[in-house]
Amino acid sequence: MLNMHNIRKSYRTDTVETHALRDFSLSVDEGEFVSVTGPSGSGKTTFLNIAGLLETPTGGEYHLDGQEVSGLSDRERSRLRNEKIGFIFQGFNLIPDLNLFDNIDVPLRYRGFDSKERKRRIEKSLEQVGLSARVKHLPAQLSGGQQQRVAIARALAGEPRFLLADEPTGNLDSLMARQVMELLELINQAGTTIVMVTHDPDLARRAHRNIQIVDGQVSDLRNTIGAEEAAVA
Amino acid sequence: MLELKPMLSALWRNKVAALLIALQLALTLAIVSNATVIVMERIDKMARPTGMDLENIFSVTFKPVDNNYDMAGAMQADLDLIRSLPGVIDASVTHQIPLSGSGSASGYYTEPNQVVGSFTANYYQTDPHFIEALGLNLVEGRNFLDNEMYTIGQNDRHNPAVVIVTKRFAERVFPDESAVGKFLYAGADDHPTQIIGVIERHLGAWPGWSLGGNAVFVPLFVTNKQAHYVVRTESGQRDALLKQVEAQLAERDPERVIKLATLSEQLAESYVGDNLMVKVLTVVIALLTLIVALGIVGLTFFWINQRTKQIGVRRALGATRANISRYFLVENSMIAGSGLLLGAAGATTINEILVRDLSQPVLPLSLLFLCALLLLSVSLVAALSPAMRAANISPAVATRSV
Repeated sequence: MLNMHNIRKSYRTDTVETHALRDFSLSVDEGEFVSVTGPSGSGKTTFLNIAGLLETPTGGEYHLDGQEVSGLSDRERSRLRNEKIGFIFQGFNLIPDLNLFDNIDVPLRYRGFDSKERKRRIEKSLEQVGLSARVKHLPAQLSGGQQQRVAIARALAGEPRFLLADEPTGNLDSLMARQVMELLELINQAGTTIVMVTHDPDLARRAHRNIQIVDGQVSDLRNTIGAEEAAVA
Repeated sequence: MLELKPMLSALWRNKVAALLIALQLALTLAIVSNATVIVMERIDKMARPTGMDLENIFSVTFKPVDNNYDMAGAMQADLDLIRSLPGVIDASVTHQIPLSGSGSASGYYTEPNQVVGSFTANYYQTDPHFIEALGLNLVEGRNFLDNEMYTIGQNDRHNPAVVIVTKRFAERVFPDESAVGKFLYAGADDHPTQIIGVIERHLGAWPGWSLGGNAVFVPLFVTNKQAHYVVRTESGQRDALLKQVEAQLAERDPERVIKLATLSEQLAESYVGDNLMVKVLTVVIALLTLIVALGIVGLTFFWINQRTKQIGVRRALGATRANISRYFLVENSMIAGSGLLLGAAGATTINEILVRDLSQPVLPLSLLFLCALLLLSVSLVAALSPAMRAANISPAVATRSV
């Protein structure tokens, strides 16, 4: 599903060049649920941005669903993001002026679906996250957990094959975090590949596989959390 | 794909700023359209043909120092001298200088002893040379004959037997028939004056007069304490001949005050107010348009800065750069459209007041539409640069925590 080989990403200012990712290689199979952990500044967000086609790498190869995507035009990347990738952000990133229906409608409009199809998908995705009754509510009228569920519904409505979650429970209390995590597991069980960036080792452990990024590189492709715990024991 | 409904909802939740811009556009349209119609009317007015060979004519005015001056003799000598100069086409005597803002008007009737229903016209006491000296076009009938010309004293009375009128006056008094051969009566009088000729056009003494172009010429000169001549020259010789005439008239008789001016200067002087009005209103139109454009640029930049994260999220969710710039342009058009609709109603109301109370011209719908279209284009151009900047916001903004 996702195959990165020797990906490099550096940011340059007038005086400093920062290497966010260095010879970063990673494969994620279809249907996998992978958690990504690492200290702050390790390159997790850069990895997420490149994986989600939000940024282009400085070098290396990136195949998404069998297609080399590093050299695509901005327009092509937008299309791929819209069709194949669903995003769940830490801060929910709902548009405050739009009600739930219109928020979920945003990516569907860019996809070019007709209004009937959009309505069907919006209703279905809201039902999946248990918020059908709140369709006319504004984001500010919902709790944090509910807002994140709307964000998940927005990601699901496009029926993506690949879901990228950036600290999806980072702004939630433990109860809501557990509910959101259970929802993600259900989505994964339904066949969607998920890559989740998190700081929470408990959540990371619930994924099929955890990778750790340190200094812009993958430190261990095995279940690093299990290994760390074994070493401590 | 257009997102009109969500856009409207978003605008409704941020209505104050949108309303201010819409009101600014409304006010601008109301003022700009009414100012434009006034400017156009003044430009049309100033561009009206005078009927005269304007660029090649100058006027001469003289006042003798001596109270017992032989005006009739001096005039004849002056005119003979001027006509003899190479480059002079003709010179004529007139009791008022055309287009100078100074003139005389009288009421004319079609029946003897009539006291109501007169037709007002500018009138000129002149001589048979006036057609050539002003470069007028005689379209019907004939010019005055020398034996129809009278010179009388200031306190004498003479009813001219013949007159020449402008076509505009002729058509007003005798619509649908030829005026030549018809009679006019000046005041409550039973002395008939026959129209012997019609000239195509003569704007008269007051270019701004609503009856401008209605003129009557009579073959008469009343000797007074001053006299005016009009002199027409060959093309390109006006300025040189003006100096030459001034010098030779002064040389012929230094005991008088002579003043010369070109007819184009006279006309420009008559249009000073109109010219000023055109300039002031044009500056007002330009400034208002600039201010509204700057307002739109400022507001759009402000909104884009406010919505940077939102734009990044939209980009992350699949919006192309074109989707983003289109979003802001459409949003701007919706604000501009509503403002312009309101402005159109305002413009019409203001125009009704201007027409009723200040006799200003009626604002045609086509001009209102054109002004609205122009302001819509200005608003789109103003929003273009911010919209392009919005389109360049990276989708990676969506994953930034601040």
